[in-house]
Amino acid sequence: MDLSLNDDQVAIVDALDALTRPYAAVSLHETGFALFDPELERELSKSGFLDVAAVPELGVVTAAIIVERVARLPQATNAALSAIVAPLLGLSAGTPLCIVEENAQARPLRFLCEGATVVVAGHSITSFTVTGDQVRAEPEALYGYPVSSLRSVPSDRQQHDVSLDEFYTRWRIALAAESAGLLAAALQSVCVYTTDRNQFGRPLASFQGMRHRLAEAQVRTNGVYWLAIKAAATLDPADAALAALHAQEAARAVVYDFHQFMGGMGMTLEHPLHLWTYRLKLLASELGGRGANALAAADAIWG
Amino acid sequence: MDFEWTPEEQAFRLRLKQFLAATLPDDWERFSQHGPGSPALTRYAETFCGKLADDKLLTPHWPKEIGGEGLDPWHQAILAEEMWIAGEPRGGQYMNVNWIGPTLIKYGSQWQQERYLPPIAEGRALWCQGFSEPGSGSDLASLRTRAVLEGDHYRVNGQKIWTSYAGLAQTCFLLCRTSDDRKRGISILLVPMDTPGITVRQIPSLIGEGDIHEVFFDDVLVPVEALFGNEGQAWEIIAYSLVNERLGIPRYGLARAALDRAVSVLKEEGRWNNDAVKIEAANVAALCEAARIASYAIVTKRAHGELVGPESSSARFATVMAERRVAEFVVEYLPEALADAHPYLKMHHQRGIVAGIAAGAAEIQLNIIATDVLKLPREPR
Repeated sequence: MDLSLNDDQVAIVDALDALTRPYAAVSLHETGFALFDPELERELSKSGFLDVAAVPELGVVTAAIIVERVARLPQATNAALSAIVAPLLGLSAGTPLCIVEENAQARPLRFLCEGATVVVAGHSITSFTVTGDQVRAEPEALYGYPVSSLRSVPSDRQQHDVSLDEFYTRWRIALAAESAGLLAAALQSVCVYTTDRNQFGRPLASFQGMRHRLAEAQVRTNGVYWLAIKAAATLDPADAALAALHAQEAARAVVYDFHQFMGGMGMTLEHPLHLWTYRLKLLASELGGRGANALAAADAIWG
Repeated sequence: MDFEWTPEEQAFRLRLKQFLAATLPDDWERFSQHGPGSPALTRYAETFCGKLADDKLLTPHWPKEIGGEGLDPWHQAILAEEMWIAGEPRGGQYMNVNWIGPTLIKYGSQWQQERYLPPIAEGRALWCQGFSEPGSGSDLASLRTRAVLEGDHYRVNGQKIWTSYAGLAQTCFLLCRTSDDRKRGISILLVPMDTPGITVRQIPSLIGEGDIHEVFFDDVLVPVEALFGNEGQAWEIIAYSLVNERLGIPRYGLARAALDRAVSVLKEEGRWNNDAVKIEAANVAALCEAARIASYAIVTKRAHGELVGPESSSARFATVMAERRVAEFVVEYLPEALADAHPYLKMHHQRGIVAGIAAGAAEIQLNIIATDVLKLPREPR
């Protein structure tokens, strides 16, 4: 047991930070509900960061470390599914990838666009490449991702030779790792704001009512990070279900608090907080939400 | 990053499990409902710890030159987990090996180490921790018990409260004031509990018999050799000690074991096939595992010889969250456990109430996280 990053992982994180630094520094004034930069997506693909899961000595755990870090950026990316789920299906990193459950086809999908690969999770794992007439754009959606809905799902789909357990494990790890980064970035932005903002002659964040709730959010965020990373290391279905459950539960517990702490600024599009929290809202509904992930965890642990 | 135990660590854990299976009496689960500080468990702990010492399992993480095996912090964590999950048959002695011993090793004089380390390493010592006072709980730096130097003795007057194990302890790790300079005015004396002028009164507690006490010091004369470290060095020393203590009790382990036991009972009784129960159980398991890995991240730092900082408060609060939800789960779905139907779950429930109170209240952990992890401005005083 050793939970420190190894030398390769430290080097990868350093290189990733160097690549993403300019994107982290973009102006965030009035970004709208979703901030997406195709150039960042291309750079992440080109650089090989999204391919690490297939490298035996790096593995899915390194992919999860990368996904968590990328998720802290203000830009929404498809890194989680590209880096963690795509390799399992034999798809190359950088393939625009969406996942839909057969019994929940109406839900909005992040990054759904013409040419994207849609994976359908049902009794087996299948996929198809989306055509323009199968996509209904949702420009008014409140989520912090570019989202669209499927008008239809073709019956003729490519079959993938992976078990449902393997697939759902990867999906849950991807969700948890991305959530961990989103939670960390949202928490950080609230801490900065409430430290700078003075009321009653002192910083908002010096009031214990706020300090304790932010500290508890830190504990939850830390927990999501570690459960995600552990699941990525073990690829164990129970670990993955617990990680996804804890991520969605943490999102439920903190998202409204974060906006509340910001007061009026928490209602605006001028502050970037929503970029992370409104992504968490969409992730909180994936995989059937907390209840479904909890039942999956209970079955995996206790039968 | 590696989440696998090494074969050697697995063997160590197995050895501990086998030791427990071979050593604990058949009625141990019922017996362990006696509080960790009760006379019954304290007496049993002397026998148990003696056997642990014989098998070199009492202080394996101590340096070899003072009776340990020089094993790393992972072994200390595994040892603590297995003992706590078993219901802590070391009784109050867990404190000796967790932090009293390591603190003696780091700060004790040669005389103090020679006097106090061998009994701890042999499993026949019991210490108490004289920290809290009636007017100084979370605000420990306001403590008022005073030690006045008079020639070659300190004269100690004051009162401690919530002192675990004081009724049967031989020695007190006593915080007292040697000057009025708030934190820098606090010193540590190692005081034999049979010194004239010390009076102990047990406080009935939810944890069980013999766990918490008031201790009165009335003109207690303590030789200067009992000064631990230097005058005014207490704050530095207890900061070191509490980092060990906060990690010392792996409550997430017992909490998870109690949850597994509760699920097993629910299954046996045909009450498991209920989605509401399963969903709650999974949420509780997630909290237990989050606390476990957050704690392992701290052990990683210790194993690398790095300074452990405020992140230990985050791991500790995660453990408090887990402990509480397990207790609530049992109350909600197996209320008979708190009567006498399931001694292991009752034992967990009795001890769980302490999780957010002892070794620095949960609210203090949140303050530490806010100030030192999140870097938020302090609350004005």
